[in-house]
Amino acid sequence: MSAVHNGVMDVLTNFVLPNDLHVHWSLMIVLYPYITGIIAGAFIVSSLYHVFKIESLKPVSRYSLIFALAFLACATWPLLNHLGHPERALNMMLTPSPSSAMAGFGYIYSAYAILLIFEILLIYRPVMVALKARSTGLLHIIYGILTFGSDNVSSQSLKLDHKIIGFLAGLGIPMACVLHGYVGFIFGGIKANPTWSTPLMPVIFLLSASVSGISGVIFTYVTIQKFRKKPVDAECVRTLTKFLWGVFILCFTFEMLEIFTHSYLKTHHWEMIHGLLWGPLYKTFWVSQVGIFSLIPMLLLAWMCLFRVGNATLVFWSTIASGMLLVQVLLMRWNVVIGGQLMSKSGRGFTTFHPQFLEKEGILPAIIIMVAPLVILYLLEKIFPMWMDDERLTALDT
Amino acid sequence: MESSKFAIDKDRRTFVKNVLKGTIAGSLLLVIPMGGASGSLEVPAQIPGIRGRKYDMFKQRFAFIVNITRCIGCGSCCVADKREYNVPDGYYRTWVERYIKDFDGNVYVDCPNGGLDGYQTPRADIPGKVRDTFFVPKLCNMCKKPSCVQVCPVGATFKTPDGFVLVDKERCVGCGYCIQACPYSVRFLNPVTHTADKCTWCYHRVRKGLLPACVNVCPANARKFGDLNDPESEVTRILASPDVITVLKPELGNMPALYYEGLRREVVYECGP
Amino acid sequence: MQSDYNTHIKRIVLLLVVAAVLGFLAKKFATPTSFGKYGHYRADAIQDEVDRPLRHMTNESCLSCHPFEWELHEQGRHKTISCEFCHGTYADHVQDGKFAGRLPVKKGEEIKTLCLRCHNKAIKARPKDVIKTVEMPRHLEDQHVQVTHICNQCHHVHAPLIYINHAQKVLGIEEANNGKQ
Repeated sequence: MSAVHNGVMDVLTNFVLPNDLHVHWSLMIVLYPYITGIIAGAFIVSSLYHVFKIESLKPVSRYSLIFALAFLACATWPLLNHLGHPERALNMMLTPSPSSAMAGFGYIYSAYAILLIFEILLIYRPVMVALKARSTGLLHIIYGILTFGSDNVSSQSLKLDHKIIGFLAGLGIPMACVLHGYVGFIFGGIKANPTWSTPLMPVIFLLSASVSGISGVIFTYVTIQKFRKKPVDAECVRTLTKFLWGVFILCFTFEMLEIFTHSYLKTHHWEMIHGLLWGPLYKTFWVSQVGIFSLIPMLLLAWMCLFRVGNATLVFWSTIASGMLLVQVLLMRWNVVIGGQLMSKSGRGFTTFHPQFLEKEGILPAIIIMVAPLVILYLLEKIFPMWMDDERLTALDT
Repeated sequence: MESSKFAIDKDRRTFVKNVLKGTIAGSLLLVIPMGGASGSLEVPAQIPGIRGRKYDMFKQRFAFIVNITRCIGCGSCCVADKREYNVPDGYYRTWVERYIKDFDGNVYVDCPNGGLDGYQTPRADIPGKVRDTFFVPKLCNMCKKPSCVQVCPVGATFKTPDGFVLVDKERCVGCGYCIQACPYSVRFLNPVTHTADKCTWCYHRVRKGLLPACVNVCPANARKFGDLNDPESEVTRILASPDVITVLKPELGNMPALYYEGLRREVVYECGP
Repeated sequence: MQSDYNTHIKRIVLLLVVAAVLGFLAKKFATPTSFGKYGHYRADAIQDEVDRPLRHMTNESCLSCHPFEWELHEQGRHKTISCEFCHGTYADHVQDGKFAGRLPVKKGEEIKTLCLRCHNKAIKARPKDVIKTVEMPRHLEDQHVQVTHICNQCHHVHAPLIYINHAQKVLGIEEANNGKQ
């Protein structure tokens, strides 16, 4: 390493404080902001249609909500798996410490979950009332519960629903921002860690949440439509791509600004941060996050937004760019969460982290947690028809 | 060889007998039975003014002072600490670091096994000529403004009215946020209890008038603990003296109650010159 | 029968109110009683910590059963060393005032290792005014004894200079170690 980072490493003798050898926040804490980011981002996509009336996003307006709900259902899994005492998780709500940045999570997450669920239920109410009449058995009962036993779909009733939906969707935007900006602050509020403690952290988290949410919607929308052998709405993808480009420009700018600020201010932490970025994080940060998974999507998005690109080409390359950005955001989470902990608080060295495949917070549990929302999405689809070309919707929706 | 050994053994016995005749009566006076719930504890108090009177948590002030110039790096403190709390291997409530400076101003720091095994051998991987070596014991800083207490989401880590930062093992959810927030890395997630764990300055001993285990075993008097309300205590004297006394990472504003006497530049400013 | 146009909204509000009330009650009943007495924590946790069993005692706690060793130790230069550091904790030896287990006795090389933890001159960090250090095996050579010697063949572990002072006295040699054992 001293060859890479001439001079500084001669002084930093890689002394790691004995307790800093353990990376206490592992893969699970990488996934947690990743999943909440996807939720917040996907919700914003749906709000673009429901609040800002961007009509071209109609094909994914319902899907993005259900997509957000599927991830929301799994958002606490990595946390529960991480906790030393998951059975005490509710202490977070029983005795939340007013001074702790983390203590609000229980309430913020719950409030957001309630909002999202009720928004979905109200949006789907007329559809579910109709589906209830058609269905039998278990599905009949489920629809009965989800419509709160009301089958009134009169215009007066729907008008009321519509008002409330507008209100919830509007309220959901600041809530989504709070949910994810707040996750950023959990890191940004740790003064003991110089890579985390920056006021930019909530902003970066929020913007990368939007990036991952929009990318997630584009990527899964196109993929699922291909699977279902249904046409992809190219105008919808085009609009999403434009939003994605805009948000990603901001996101990437702030990510780089953070590093630039550190390097320009050259506080006494800079040697360590420099050592970290050009040492243990070189591959995951510079090569992967910045080099491959930021610059290439950035160029692709710029090309698609600035030039007249054919529909098929656009859908294809937009999906590729989205997939890459999903990786970019995951890498960003890794570099922040794991990277920050690799720096010992001795200020003199770095520890290492290699997740195992089978351990409690290892790679396999991480894969399970990331696949679970997709399974839940599949199950939710059985109850909530989310495609505009779905005959359950086209026949019934008014 | 054998016979000389025998002679010394024999001599030892007479010696001890002589000693006993003269002094043992006086020593016995030191033993003050504590009475009460801990009746079996018949050891003299090490911190005056705690036993035998009502303990008002709101009026106590304690300080811990580590004297860098006296530490010999034997690691007794680390061993005592591990034994007092059965600390799992690989985790440390206290540890002793070794700093080595060479003539080019490079600083080499190490802390094999937290200093539990002492420092038996010189470091072999230092290219330059060694100018100076010293040891720095580390433990909980008992901040007056503790970051760990601030960030604990469930109120499981807290500062007692008498200034000790403790962990409630029954409320801790094991999220590890306090571990991230501690600027001194004195916290860890105990792999046995799955809760956050850290040095307590041996609160259970202090409340019984005994010194923290590490202070009690320190042969060089490099670790000192005492009552700041007692004008006669060593810590009060040291903190009132004109000697250079400092704390670790003062710029973070945590205001530790752990002070260092003779602390070196290489420790305060993490990145060497 | 057709429901009212706002039946579902009423039910949603009712559901939220019920959930909030249940949550409030749960918070009230599941919070430990001493929580918040001194601050945002369970005040009884302080007593829990106070009640932690002691494992180490002090050197004085060894006195009642080991007066010979104690006296010897107290007179010598090793008096600042804790008995329990070399021998093990009081709690492993005595429980509720009764014998609970033997503490292992250090022998041979173990003794040498223990001595060199503090007295090894090779570790150039040991302040001279605090501790006397020796270089091994040079110290043994200087003293004209076999290099296989263990420290306690000349130095009594509890009072390291007692034999040496005694020998010097017998031989009529006066030295600076006067009075110290």
